[in-house]
Amino acid sequence: MLQCIFLLSDSGEVMVEKQMTAHRVDRAICGWFWDYVLAHAAGDASKVVVSPTHYLFQVYRNGVTFLACTQVEMPPLMAIEFLSRVADVLTDYLGDLHEDIIKDNFVLVYQILDEMMDNGYPLTTEPNILKEMIAPPNIVSKMLNVVTGKSSNIGNKLPDATASFVPWRTTVVKDASNEVYVNIVEELDACVNRPWESNQILSFVPPDGQFELMSYRVKKLKTTPIYVKPQLTSDSGNCRVNVMVGIKNDPGKPIDSITVQFQLPPLIASADLTANYGTVDILADQTCFWTIGQIPKDKAPSLSGNLRLEEGLTHLHTFPTFEVKFKIMGVALSGLQIDKLEIRNTPHAPYKGFRAQTQAGSLALINGNNPCGHVDDFKRMTDGPLALSSATMADGPLAAAVVSPTAVVTCNNGSGTGEVELSYPIIESVLNPLHGPHVEHHASKRNHRVNTKRSKVGVGNMRRLRP
Amino acid sequence: MGRAASVIVSESRERRDPRRRRSPEPEMFGLQASGAAASWVVGRMGTDAHLYDDPDDASIPTLLDSRFDADKLDALKRLLALIAQGVDVAHLFPQVVKNVASQSLEVKKLVYLYLLHYAEKRQNEALLSINIFQKDLSDINPLVRAWALRTMAGIRLHVVAPLVLVAVKKCARDPSAYVRKCATYALCKLQDLLPEESTSLEETVDVLFSDNSPGVVGATAVAFNSVCPNCLPLISKHFQRLCETLPDIEEWAQILLIDIILRYVIARHGLVKESSIFASNLPLEGHGSGDSAPNGNETCGTTSTITLFRHYIEEYSGCFDTEGNVINCSSVTSSTNNDVALLLKCTSPLLWSRNSGVILAAASVHWIMAPVDQLNRVVGPILFTLRSSPDATYVMLGNILVFAKTAPQLFAPFYEDFFICTSDPYQTKALKLEILTTIATESSIPAIFEEFQDYISDPDRRFVADTVAAIALCAQKLPSITTTCLEGLLALVFHESYISNSAQFDGEAAVLVQAILSIKAIVRTNPASHEKVIVRLVRSLDKIKEPAARSLIIWIFGEYSSIGNLIPKITPAVLKYLAWSFAAEVLETKLQILNAAAKVIIHSPEEHLEEFKKIMAHVIKLATCDLNYDVRDRARFISRLLPYCTTCVNGNNSSCQSHNDDTFKELADHIFDGKMPSTFHSTSNYRIYLPGSLSQVVLHAAPGYAPLPKPQSMELIHKTMEPTRGVGNSSESINSDAESGSSTYDSGSVYSESEGGGSSDRNAAGSNKKENLEDPMACVYDASIDQGQTARDVEENFASLITTDLTELMSKSALETWLDEAPAEPVQASTQTSFARVSFTNRNFERKPKLHILLDPSNSNGLSVLYAFSSEVSPVSRLLVCVDVVFENVSTDQLVDITIKSEEASGSEDALDETSHGSASVPTIVLDKEIQLLAPQQTAKVVLQVHFHHHLLPLKLSVLCNGKRHPAKLHPDIAYFVRPLPMDLNAFLCKENQLRGMFEYARRCTFKDHLQKLEQIGDEHTDKNLMIAQSLAAKVLSNANFHLVSMDMPVTFSIDDASGLCWRFSSEILSTSNPCLITIVAEGHISEPLELAAKVNSEDTAFGLNLLNRVVAIIE
Repeated sequence: MLQCIFLLSDSGEVMVEKQMTAHRVDRAICGWFWDYVLAHAAGDASKVVVSPTHYLFQVYRNGVTFLACTQVEMPPLMAIEFLSRVADVLTDYLGDLHEDIIKDNFVLVYQILDEMMDNGYPLTTEPNILKEMIAPPNIVSKMLNVVTGKSSNIGNKLPDATASFVPWRTTVVKDASNEVYVNIVEELDACVNRPWESNQILSFVPPDGQFELMSYRVKKLKTTPIYVKPQLTSDSGNCRVNVMVGIKNDPGKPIDSITVQFQLPPLIASADLTANYGTVDILADQTCFWTIGQIPKDKAPSLSGNLRLEEGLTHLHTFPTFEVKFKIMGVALSGLQIDKLEIRNTPHAPYKGFRAQTQAGSLALINGNNPCGHVDDFKRMTDGPLALSSATMADGPLAAAVVSPTAVVTCNNGSGTGEVELSYPIIESVLNPLHGPHVEHHASKRNHRVNTKRSKVGVGNMRRLRP
Repeated sequence: MGRAASVIVSESRERRDPRRRRSPEPEMFGLQASGAAASWVVGRMGTDAHLYDDPDDASIPTLLDSRFDADKLDALKRLLALIAQGVDVAHLFPQVVKNVASQSLEVKKLVYLYLLHYAEKRQNEALLSINIFQKDLSDINPLVRAWALRTMAGIRLHVVAPLVLVAVKKCARDPSAYVRKCATYALCKLQDLLPEESTSLEETVDVLFSDNSPGVVGATAVAFNSVCPNCLPLISKHFQRLCETLPDIEEWAQILLIDIILRYVIARHGLVKESSIFASNLPLEGHGSGDSAPNGNETCGTTSTITLFRHYIEEYSGCFDTEGNVINCSSVTSSTNNDVALLLKCTSPLLWSRNSGVILAAASVHWIMAPVDQLNRVVGPILFTLRSSPDATYVMLGNILVFAKTAPQLFAPFYEDFFICTSDPYQTKALKLEILTTIATESSIPAIFEEFQDYISDPDRRFVADTVAAIALCAQKLPSITTTCLEGLLALVFHESYISNSAQFDGEAAVLVQAILSIKAIVRTNPASHEKVIVRLVRSLDKIKEPAARSLIIWIFGEYSSIGNLIPKITPAVLKYLAWSFAAEVLETKLQILNAAAKVIIHSPEEHLEEFKKIMAHVIKLATCDLNYDVRDRARFISRLLPYCTTCVNGNNSSCQSHNDDTFKELADHIFDGKMPSTFHSTSNYRIYLPGSLSQVVLHAAPGYAPLPKPQSMELIHKTMEPTRGVGNSSESINSDAESGSSTYDSGSVYSESEGGGSSDRNAAGSNKKENLEDPMACVYDASIDQGQTARDVEENFASLITTDLTELMSKSALETWLDEAPAEPVQASTQTSFARVSFTNRNFERKPKLHILLDPSNSNGLSVLYAFSSEVSPVSRLLVCVDVVFENVSTDQLVDITIKSEEASGSEDALDETSHGSASVPTIVLDKEIQLLAPQQTAKVVLQVHFHHHLLPLKLSVLCNGKRHPAKLHPDIAYFVRPLPMDLNAFLCKENQLRGMFEYARRCTFKDHLQKLEQIGDEHTDKNLMIAQSLAAKVLSNANFHLVSMDMPVTFSIDDASGLCWRFSSEILSTSNPCLITIVAEGHISEPLELAAKVNSEDTAFGLNLLNRVVAIIE
């Protein structure tokens, strides 16, 4: 059980202290922790830290460190996952997550923390229920607060979903519009090999609002949309840098928000880098940011310049890693497409929409000799705001709580569709909770994950393309 | 966004000073940026920002006392901001607590947040909120009930813990699943406050496990883990349903429940014989017999499964034979066992959870229990988490490492998953490297090496050094690649030596040193075949300046100077070079040169011996003149050990030295030629803990870590839920049980056995009630008349209160029923039951009040003071309790001016005084007279009237005598905070009906006094039931100020059955005049201890509960 949760700012200042159990944790532990963080170079601090008095778990998001303490054995992943969930929920509530926004909304943060955890164990972590208990700040409530000085964000009744077998779906949703959007957000990351377990049909009870439907991986993607060619030649204390970026395989849509980022090698006395397109910034921690945006039609963006090595060093013996970020709207690089979206158990057909997006997750060029390094793929499919009118849903013999709308998404990856359906037998489950096929249920809960079939997506090991 | 945007990025990243954060300088930003700043201001509008910035700029106490909720909210938010900033605002506790009664939910919530933060510091004031909690507990809004329960349990006061327990039990039957869930969590909070109630807590856990809401069942797993983690027998009757519910419960609870059912299955059925633990073909080159690669075995650091499981199961040593290699096969089960199969089946879908904790927990179950051929199904999900939950990666990799060391082939095909990204934190990189080393195979090593080559140019030098070390490990494991590795490492050595020569920077040498260490490790496996490498390394000696690296190379040279064909040829030259450079070296290199020279001499062929001796003599001469003590010491040591090389210099060959030559030579051989123990065995010495545990991550047993239970150690206890802490070592019967194998316990029998037990006694007892006309003192009446009917209803209702059968309470309309607890409809047609009423009144019992010591004569110059609570009613105020105080002079001198004073400040500002209505005017103690003089052996009795402020803390008094002050403590007795309230049975039952629901508390206890009396009276013809009735009534009445309303005896066939004996007492609380009704019903056989159910009905619930506890204490 977690005894205490602290939210620390980027400078180690304690922003929020929430004691979870009676075994109070002195906030002096934060001072110890911050010394520990400072003693370890960036990124080196462990997720699980053994302090003299407590075991600490930390999750870091946008300059905010979520720190949890315990003194007894507990599953460490429970703590870490919980902290990330707290971070997700707060981001969801506040629209963003940073030091100022936490401080500005500290009461809300306390209220949320208190609902999410009781006695050191997670209590309510479904965003859907939380939002009914504690209303997220919106412009109306803020204005009300300014004008009248009062607004309550505490819900005055227990959300019905707490009793539901489908706790993420509010029982009675009433909305003006009736829409379903499916967004495909693909991230290029590292690759893994696994078989596609079902036949590419997902069936689920959608919650109201945004959520992650599934994540999947595609192994051995054929190619990346852009290339980065870095050249570093060093001679007699000087290092000549030249980085070229260009479109390698046109995905058919514009590639946006391209940035190239690399750590300057150690032992550099001075750096002078310029780009013929975009802006170059060198931060205090020796990171070089090259913001390109879109690649122009007429010229190939390139970054060039000179690095002056430290006295006594003639050659560079390390090679920096180039990280590339980009975004392509409207295309899923893996070729995954949504075939159809079917909504059941609801009388009104909602408006449906699809959107695909690809972005670089961690796309890194390790070595200049390998112009196409680490090209990995990791994709995530989210669907957009989903509001199903339930005006007539209570008409039938079963209560609205029983018949939840079931959405079925059929996916294909360009060359055909599979068939197995994972429908969630809601009605059976509620009427006969003890004898329902529980084991099978789970497969179609909303957090289900499926992988795309690997043979369809690409061939050959594309991890490293050698010239 | 152009230039300006990137400046903002860098600005936000560089913010370090919290003060600067609040004052962004607008002129730094361009137009867009000031637009952003404007939107930031808008964003802050209407938030609580100003409260966080300046929580102190308003008078918080004034706001708290305001009539308006908005002001209170403002004050509470300011307090919260102060708490967040680490300011102690506990001094405002009384003002805050007052607001707990607020109708505004938001105020309530914030008060609760404050309360929970400070309650333990301010116990007395926290008590003030209890009545509001009690009221909220029966609120119509389940959210309010849940909050009240959470907070009430969360403030953790010992005084109210029994009250909380009752509330928990009540809320465990709440119609709202959310409230039931909170009740479950409250159990955990009670666990260490009420250690004596552990049985009661366990019973509640048991009940909640059969809840039909998955959320509650999940929360119960949490409670089980903290209340009774070792009560695995409790799981047996729920096992099947728990497995079925598992996929539906919340992810957090899944993690814990998976662990519980795994422990249960192991304790009951043992390990699975098809699992990896028994699979001989599973790992490892090291364990295969007749392996063709003998030199790779011990070095790869893999762990055998048996060692692994010995770590998992602490008490498992008995199952291994002396070598620890064979597992006693009688305590195993098969994967076809129903429970094992169910366990595996219900955890399989969880491998696809979105929560990495659940995935790891499910994977652990499979790792331990699944047949070997199904083990690979955990691999995919585990690897998936490395991508999908970046925060979990570190923990996950630590666990993968253990899996991979035990079963490398499981992960071998997925080596690409462990390739390292630059963005990985260092620890992740190190773990991935170790995993890669462990799972590398002949087929994957080329790709891995290509990867390693990239890592070597990484800017992080520490990571590069690790990579170099990993290369050596791979080379030792896979002999086919050693040549390639050595070539690469040599190239690296030359490259690095060039760098470290050209620029001296911290940490740069580490890679070079590690490269040489790696070469050394590889060469060691077969030095003769790598002599070219050694030669090249030694030749580079002149180029390498780094002392640590030089020392290593010199060591390698010395160690292998006589091996192969090439090295001996260069030995003289190298030795000369070393002797030449000796003076310029640093300490560690000098020592190594001395060592190397000694080794060379020992192994030198005859033709070079003389030459070497000269060089050696030169070196030793230099060394003996060295500034450093250690070097001189080493030189002296070697010159004594190898006298034949110094003799040649000195020229005088003494006889005694030559005599000792052989001895010295042998000694020198041992010292310089000793085979080093393998350094790789140390890795297998560290402890391995259960996968997914904190201990496995921190590599030591964290407090509260529990290894798996001993296989088949569970004793099936169904009826009595005794706490079986330490299941692992408690049972001796396992071994004999184990012989019969697992088939005798099939899962079906557990359920049937467990269900019968609980209720049968009560049924039997109930059906035996029949007429019995033998007793002359009893008048018989029939149950069908009004009072009888009511009485029986009462009893039934009472039983339903105590029994924990909740099924019918969970219906949808249960809320109203639950809230006002209307008497339950009689379910069955009335059975003919008669009672005999025994007409006794208070007068029939002599009161023998118990004397307590107020002052011991040994501490007070011979004044002994005893006190006893009296049943008198104070003439001064109804708030005062009368206590008879007896003074006795046991000394030989006279005692004068004896009086008693209260230590507590009279008319104190104590917050408690102000709130207990109208009590301010009442003095704490009233003494009816003072004793002027007390002669030796004289006694005097005084009536002391005490105002206990209605709480149960001891009252501090001081007894004044002879002008001296003696401190004393008067312990209150709640049983005398009441006075008898005479009423007849009808009035009693009527009043009792009014005080149902939340005003009613019940407890069970046992009564044993009658056993003793039965022995005394022997087998005489007396009515034993009557005797019991009298003795209990006497006991209660002499310890509590009650009125005996009635005593009913059942009229039954069996005269030895005391079931149905019922006592009713009435009283009213002194301070409030609220009636308190006490009912006690007996059950059981008169020759055994009687099971009593005691019940209190009172409007003042806190008082009622404490009184109930007191009554139970009196009875027992």
